[in-house]
Amino acid sequence: MNEILKGKFVRLSAYDPKEMSNAFSRWNRNSEYIRLLNSSMGPLQSPKRAEKWMDEEVGEMSPASYYFTIRTLEDDKLIGELGLDVVDWSGRDAFVGLGIGETEYWSKGYGTDIMNVLLQFAFMEVNLRRVTLTVFEYNPRAIRSYEKAGFRHEGRLRQLLNKEGKRWDMFYMGILREEWLERNTVQG
Amino acid sequence: MKDIFRGELVRITNEEPDVVAKASVRWQLDSEYGRLLDSESIHLFSEKAIKNWIEKNSESIKPERYQFSVRTLAEDKLIGFFGLYVELIHSEAWVGIGIGERDFWSKGYGTDMMNVCLRYAFLELGVQRVSLGLHEYNPRALRSYEKAGFKLEGRTRKDVLREGKRTDTFWMGILRDEWMAQNGAAL
Repeated sequence: MNEILKGKFVRLSAYDPKEMSNAFSRWNRNSEYIRLLNSSMGPLQSPKRAEKWMDEEVGEMSPASYYFTIRTLEDDKLIGELGLDVVDWSGRDAFVGLGIGETEYWSKGYGTDIMNVLLQFAFMEVNLRRVTLTVFEYNPRAIRSYEKAGFRHEGRLRQLLNKEGKRWDMFYMGILREEWLERNTVQG
Repeated sequence: MKDIFRGELVRITNEEPDVVAKASVRWQLDSEYGRLLDSESIHLFSEKAIKNWIEKNSESIKPERYQFSVRTLAEDKLIGFFGLYVELIHSEAWVGIGIGERDFWSKGYGTDMMNVCLRYAFLELGVQRVSLGLHEYNPRALRSYEKAGFKLEGRTRKDVLREGKRTDTFWMGILRDEWMAQNGAAL
């Protein structure tokens, strides 16, 4: 069977609450990162508060919720985080959220590689039927990356966001199991 | 869309914990019922203990667990229950089912309950198969499950010890495609 937690540049790893909460509070100081990641600005979080959140929310073991940290294969550096949450088991649909906090790893193919690993996990391990995500109109880099991973545009919430005096849409994107299988030769 | 909570003879309900506890405390006195239901040794619990257990289990809504009480359509009498436990990753559900009121045994109620249960599992939960286990010494249940479409898939030999005799456990299953072939036309 395939090594399913590993891509070309990155691997998915378990989180260490201490390490992650420190990384969080560092990444969160970058307002551009936060704006690309979330629609609400949100308070700057202390490492302690982030750790509490991880213990309480992320620590709960459930087949519906997966949380990974992302490490580079080359130097085992923690560069980002990833969450997959099954929204509906009868439809077998899950929502993915993904962020690269270390900005020097932007625009180099890491995001697409991470998404490829995640999709392999979602379809081959969790046996999902589809994966859904949302992305903001002002994040063309992410949109391009998701398109490369095989996501299709499915809809938009018009003028949902208000940033710097401008209104922006939020896009819905999705990929179906069959579409993913068609793009990926599965050895097993 | 059809009312999926209703069969020919019964409907499924969600009762208050004290209603279920009151019925269960009476049903448990029927030792034959207990022995047909599972392989635990017979227990007699207080109404309060049963109520606490039910309340604890219904505290949070989980996508793995579905528990229903069963009432007759004719008399609106609470006669039994069924529960589904879903293996989410593999899209498989395990079913447990029982009729505590023995006046309602051998009259088609069990099969009707199982039909409602399978319809819920396949059409609402969207699972790919449903599985169950039963005792070798429960031919009435075997017959009923076969009528509902289950196939006998295997047995674990002599794994249950009852009254000094070792007996087998039977394992049955029904696949989504099989169920759809039998029931799809009526949808």
